[in-house]
Amino acid sequence: MRKLARRFTYWLRRNRLAGELEEEMRLHVELRARKLHSQGVDRAGYAAHRAFGNRASFGEASREMWGFIRWERLLQDLRQAVRALRKTPAFTAAAVLTLAVGLGMNIAVFSVVNAVMIRRLPYPEPNRLVSIWREYLRNAPPGFANSGFAEVGAGGHLRTNCSVADLVEWQQRSHVFVGLAGYQGTLMNLTDSGTPDRIAGETVTANYFPLLGVQPALGRAILPEDDRPGAAAVVLVSDEFWRGRLGADTAVLGRSITLDAHPYQVIGVLPRGFEPPRQFGQTNRIEFWVPAAYSAEAKLDHGDSDIDVLARLRPGVSVRNAQAEMDSISAALGRQFQEDDGLRAMLAPLQDDLVRRVRLSLLALLGASGLIVLITCLNVANLMLVRAAARRHETSVRYALGASRWRILRQFLVESMVVAAAGCSAGILLGTALMQLLVRKAPESIPRIGAVSMDWRVFLVATTLATLAGIVFGLAPAWQASRTRPAESLKSASRSTVGTMQARGRAFLTVAEVALSLVLLIGAGLLLKSFVRLMGVDLGFQPDRVLVMNIPLPNLRYASANQRLQFFQRVEDRVQSLPGVQRVAFANIFPLRGGWSTGVRLDSAAGPYGGAGGQVVSLGYFETLGVPLLRGRLFTPEDHLGHPRVVIVNQEFARRFLPGADPIGHRLQNGGSAPWMTVIGVVNDIRRGGKDARITPQMYLPAAQDDFYRVRLGSLAVRSAGDPRQLAAAIQQQVWAVDKDQPVTAVMTLDETISASVAERVFNTLLLVIFAAVAVGLATVGVFGVLSYAVSQRTAELGLRVALGASPASILRLVLRQAGLLIACGVALGLAGAWALTRSVESLLFGVQRHDWTTYAAAVVLLSTVSIAAALAPARRGAKVDPIVALKYE
Amino acid sequence: MLILKTLARKKEMHGFEIAESIQQTSEDVLRVEEGSLYPALQRMLIQGWIKGEWGKTDENRRARYYRLTADGRKHLETEMHRYERVAAAIARILQPA
Repeated sequence: MRKLARRFTYWLRRNRLAGELEEEMRLHVELRARKLHSQGVDRAGYAAHRAFGNRASFGEASREMWGFIRWERLLQDLRQAVRALRKTPAFTAAAVLTLAVGLGMNIAVFSVVNAVMIRRLPYPEPNRLVSIWREYLRNAPPGFANSGFAEVGAGGHLRTNCSVADLVEWQQRSHVFVGLAGYQGTLMNLTDSGTPDRIAGETVTANYFPLLGVQPALGRAILPEDDRPGAAAVVLVSDEFWRGRLGADTAVLGRSITLDAHPYQVIGVLPRGFEPPRQFGQTNRIEFWVPAAYSAEAKLDHGDSDIDVLARLRPGVSVRNAQAEMDSISAALGRQFQEDDGLRAMLAPLQDDLVRRVRLSLLALLGASGLIVLITCLNVANLMLVRAAARRHETSVRYALGASRWRILRQFLVESMVVAAAGCSAGILLGTALMQLLVRKAPESIPRIGAVSMDWRVFLVATTLATLAGIVFGLAPAWQASRTRPAESLKSASRSTVGTMQARGRAFLTVAEVALSLVLLIGAGLLLKSFVRLMGVDLGFQPDRVLVMNIPLPNLRYASANQRLQFFQRVEDRVQSLPGVQRVAFANIFPLRGGWSTGVRLDSAAGPYGGAGGQVVSLGYFETLGVPLLRGRLFTPEDHLGHPRVVIVNQEFARRFLPGADPIGHRLQNGGSAPWMTVIGVVNDIRRGGKDARITPQMYLPAAQDDFYRVRLGSLAVRSAGDPRQLAAAIQQQVWAVDKDQPVTAVMTLDETISASVAERVFNTLLLVIFAAVAVGLATVGVFGVLSYAVSQRTAELGLRVALGASPASILRLVLRQAGLLIACGVALGLAGAWALTRSVESLLFGVQRHDWTTYAAAVVLLSTVSIAAALAPARRGAKVDPIVALKYE
Repeated sequence: MLILKTLARKKEMHGFEIAESIQQTSEDVLRVEEGSLYPALQRMLIQGWIKGEWGKTDENRRARYYRLTADGRKHLETEMHRYERVAAAIARILQPA
């Protein structure tokens, strides 16, 4: 350390020191000369000098010791590089810009991936938190797969939630967890302040917060005593709730709030910024938590599975070990309880489970942006090679003057690193802007999209990428330059000799660029085609000009089906009389907004149940949604309790359960004790789950005969003459005129719901199309650059050909043939790559095979046309070569 | 090491004196370019083994006088020690058996 300090002071004083050293050495020589003279030596001065040696070189050697010569050399290289780059602004701008675009895109996409998938969940030791669900190893129960909302789990089977009884059994039998907590989303009506509000919350077991590792900022958490049936109703609220609705009052503890017409005592406020796992990927804020207080019956019911379970692993227990234990527990439970037979409890790190829906598409996007960076590097490498070729002469001279190979190599590397650094800074700027754009445009259903920001990981990735890129595209020209043989290169000062190595290197880069662009283009094409297919899907009803809203009636005040029916009938009458309203309908739930499914038994078959979706609908339902009646009749006011029970089914239902028969008049029921109903009509199939959902068997039950089913009336739909959104406020007024405490929520037109449901797909498609466009642009520039350079290098040769009688057309052909060969190789490679790589976008496709040949063909045609067009300009220039000029130039 | 040893013998010397001293004590066996002394001195200055101060010669000329520092003395000792071991080893090998 002291040595370094001394070296530094010497370095600071290096000029004075040089003078002093010079003086010392001069004195030495003088003294020596005098001594020699006194000894009688002839020409003593000369002899003294000879004895002393090369004074300049000793001075140099000393100077090296005084400073940081290595760093100074690097600085010198840097200065030289900057100077050289500034001398060729067009090249520099092109290289830096290309890099900035490539890196910027990557930074933007990576920052999203980072926030969503890499950054740890905001709980202590999040890697020990696991999510637990169950999968059907054999057949799912009837109706389950038809609900349109079934999901295949990580184990490859249909996934389902857990039952309370399972949770209790797991808690008792497992040893690998610190604890297991149950939780479930809920929506409740808050009626304390002004307009009633529907807010999201969770019902959780007492150990939920301790397992997450979160403590309330104010008050206390839920105690086991609170988490019992019959305990006093208590609630924990979020910081937002506390600030927004309770005025950040620190004396709030013990106050009560009214949820679903029931008073709840506030016992605590959660810390600011706390978000429960369910919040990730959910747009409406979760604002309160109430104890689950599972009843004794629920704890024994293995069939009703509607809770989520999370657990914290004991320290040192791996997910695999935990899975092994859960497997043996699942097997034991399956033997013991019929409902658990064939169900396997699966677990995965909580974080992985939360992002499971977006993981594949994000990875595909990341892969695509990785390809972009590769293309960018290839392009810049290409530029660098062209530049290196133009500087062959300079390199040779430097060699001849004694520069070491390493020194020359280093200079090229330093130059490319300067370009990389500039590109990286510009890329980070551009990437930040792109990132903000992405976040704004991204669908809100992507978990934690709001948390996207630049952090050290993004920064690290950006700089690593830039450094790697710098080395990659700097090394190629540096390698070639370092192999220059000065003698040959200087001898042939003519520019017509292009090293075949160099030409081959650039050709290779171009081929690779074309290939990578084709892969991206095909990927984007497949997504685009999927999107077009999806948009073309007929929903089976008319979603335009229909406003839908939820009117969730609290159990307490509307306990019976008849009370709910009367409420909705009164609302319907009032809304129907509003100006601009064409038709009003109510139901348990409307298409695109969820569903319910159940088992069905038919009179025509003694066999097992089938499954079908079921809705309870009002008289105006089909007219409001625009669902055509195909056979039989619709419901009439006479179809109420006391009259024969009736049901309307869709075509798919008739096709699946009553093939070849006239469905009208058949009878069906939904379970052993349910009443029989007679089919009175068949309506058109509709895609309830949205455009990418399957058509499933459906049955429609009249709202006036709903006294048995688990579904409850809770939604209203209005078809209007004009823009339905303008009716929203008026409709709300009518609802409040019937019940002033009743919230109206999720007010959205069906069109809005549809675009929200495809938002993620639009987002992915748009991004990939942009990527592909950039890639094709870069590849075009690459082809253009290489051919332009090749033509300018071959000017003499082409001139000679013209002089010897070649026609301009044949020259054109000659150059184009070269381009064609490059493009053809690139296309072949790209096709092979796409064939293999489109697997990663397979899950994003809709109605298109991943080897859809028309998309492949279209991409090939597009890319070839564009690149041939890019080749045309240099080819024309080649054909126009004037032999006189070309040969004189030699 | 030679320079350090030379400096250890006398309190302080300037460059020419050091060169002379080395030549004399070695009785002209060691003849190198005299100038190579100076980069070596610079190196030792940086290492902190010697210190240099400007003074006047007998003839009233400005010259830099070098002297050994504590660090330099320590370094010289370890070097001497090592040298003696190596020299002894070489001597043993060269001794006729």
